Amino acid sequence: MAFTLYSLLQAALLCVNAVAVLHEERFLNKIGWGTDQSVGGFGEEPGIKSQLVNLIRSVRMVMRLPLIEMATRRALKAVLIDLSGTLHIEDTAISGAQEALQKLRSAPVAVKFVTNTTKECKQTLFERLQKLDFDIQEDEIFTSLTAARNLVEQMQVRPLLLVDDSALKDFEGINRSDPNAVVVGLAPQHFNYNTMNKAFRLISDGAPLIAIHKARYYKKLDGLSLGPGPFITGLEYATDVKATVVGKPEKPFFLEALQSIGCQPEEAVMIGDDARDDVGGAQNAGMLGILVKTGKYQPGDGDKTSPPPYLICNAFPQAVDHILQLLL
Amino acid sequence: MMAEWCKPVGRVKGVLLDISGVLYDSGEGGGVPIPGSTEAVKRIKEANLKVRFCTNETQATRETFVAKLQSLGFDIALGEVFAPAPAACQILKERGLRPHLLVHDGLLPEFNQVDQSNPNCVVLGDAAGNFSYKNLNEAFRVLIGLEKPVLLSLGRGRYYKETDGMKLDVGVYMKALEYACDIEAEVVGKPAKRFFLSALSDMDLEPDQVIMIGDDIVNDIGGAQQCGMKAVQVRTGKYRPCDEQHPTVKADGYVHNLAQAVKILLEHLH
Repeated sequence: MAFTLYSLLQAALLCVNAVAVLHEERFLNKIGWGTDQSVGGFGEEPGIKSQLVNLIRSVRMVMRLPLIEMATRRALKAVLIDLSGTLHIEDTAISGAQEALQKLRSAPVAVKFVTNTTKECKQTLFERLQKLDFDIQEDEIFTSLTAARNLVEQMQVRPLLLVDDSALKDFEGINRSDPNAVVVGLAPQHFNYNTMNKAFRLISDGAPLIAIHKARYYKKLDGLSLGPGPFITGLEYATDVKATVVGKPEKPFFLEALQSIGCQPEEAVMIGDDARDDVGGAQNAGMLGILVKTGKYQPGDGDKTSPPPYLICNAFPQAVDHILQLLL
Repeated sequence: MMAEWCKPVGRVKGVLLDISGVLYDSGEGGGVPIPGSTEAVKRIKEANLKVRFCTNETQATRETFVAKLQSLGFDIALGEVFAPAPAACQILKERGLRPHLLVHDGLLPEFNQVDQSNPNCVVLGDAAGNFSYKNLNEAFRVLIGLEKPVLLSLGRGRYYKETDGMKLDVGVYMKALEYACDIEAEVVGKPAKRFFLSALSDMDLEPDQVIMIGDDIVNDIGGAQQCGMKAVQVRTGKYRPCDEQHPTVKADGYVHNLAQAVKILLEHLH
């Protein structure tokens, strides 16, 4: 187990907690370390025992309330669920996922589907999930494409859209002529040399680079495939410009998703197959993260985030069981 | 004109030249010589200075490349050119590596003697049009499937200038694969020290006896300086005005082009 600063803090916290729970009457007084028993003459140098008794007393007085606050588990109010790799892989549902979702719906939690999938617009995602018999509403889906569109409108730029044709629907109404910005999503057909050069020249001339997300790779039925992350990193290197990432694992993405259901990060848990983007990002935003071993999960992924995932389990159904049994 | 980089007089015995952006600009029809460069190379040789050419060109074999430059009027011989592909073949042999190649079609013959079956590493060159998603994905899958992924990148340049505009160089795709696989590539060619030193040893000169002339502030100038050479940047090729305010690399001199660099150098030798 790695000896990190986080584990040092955890150890310190446990020690403080141990001191704080010492019982005055049943223990401290019996061993002669109660606060009334220390001999402290006025004006004398306090002895070692006296100092220790005072320390214990101070810790118990001062730390009691913060410790109670921290120990109290806030009620879980929301579950954010990743789509590709967690509920389904392309047109195949993860075994048992539909039933698990049904079970989750019967609990008093809000559910939101958050995805970096940029190859499809919301409607396509929704239709696919419906076909796979998932109980889902279109407005429960929050995508990084939506977040990107919001940013483009905010910045009032005309984007060169390196996104899949089927994702263009989510950018309807945006002026794309004479581009002065570059938006990059998962678009294998645009990651050819000529288009990359075009994007490179625009960015070199001052166009901002907006990344829908920076996933390294994703799982297809025939193996792992490069995500947009590598190409964005390449463009950043070529131009010395940092991309603005709007999707997972950026904090604003999770906060925007939770905002729409009116929850705080501390009241939410995220379930996903990407250690860094789903779990790491969610925990960084203040949520609990559950890593599932389906989709793009590779053995050893649990060690890739700090702090490590709150829970690693086999698949979405097991994650739901844990939530229903232990977090509600 | 004062030129500190020529001093001390008499010490400089050799010149190391970059090719793209110094001798010529590549592009359609083979490319175009930069004005004054053919003359400049002749003058260096006439002054009895040793010359070697250090290039990161990986779109063609050395033979093809040198023949092209000769047809453009340059006095250049095969043995004077140091390119990454032969250096990479040497490394592959030393370490028992069998490469999956993602390079320009024109470079493939350089690897004819190399065993490419059951690859245990990836070699990345300036593949230009071959940098398709499909090809990159293939290279990625080779790397991600290896227990000890090795990525050899022939150079790490960010971009270069062709006659029809700036184009992305191998370094961009090296970074892409590094990010995808969470690994660090090994660079063969500029700015790797080993590459410069092999040229120096071929000239049988010490670093402080050789001046490097290039257009890439980081890979040519920075790389050469790290070996102990003085290095001068030309304002042709991929040069940009902001290069003169580079945060980490300061060239020993900035000149308009190779012709001017040679003029100053020869003036100081007499």
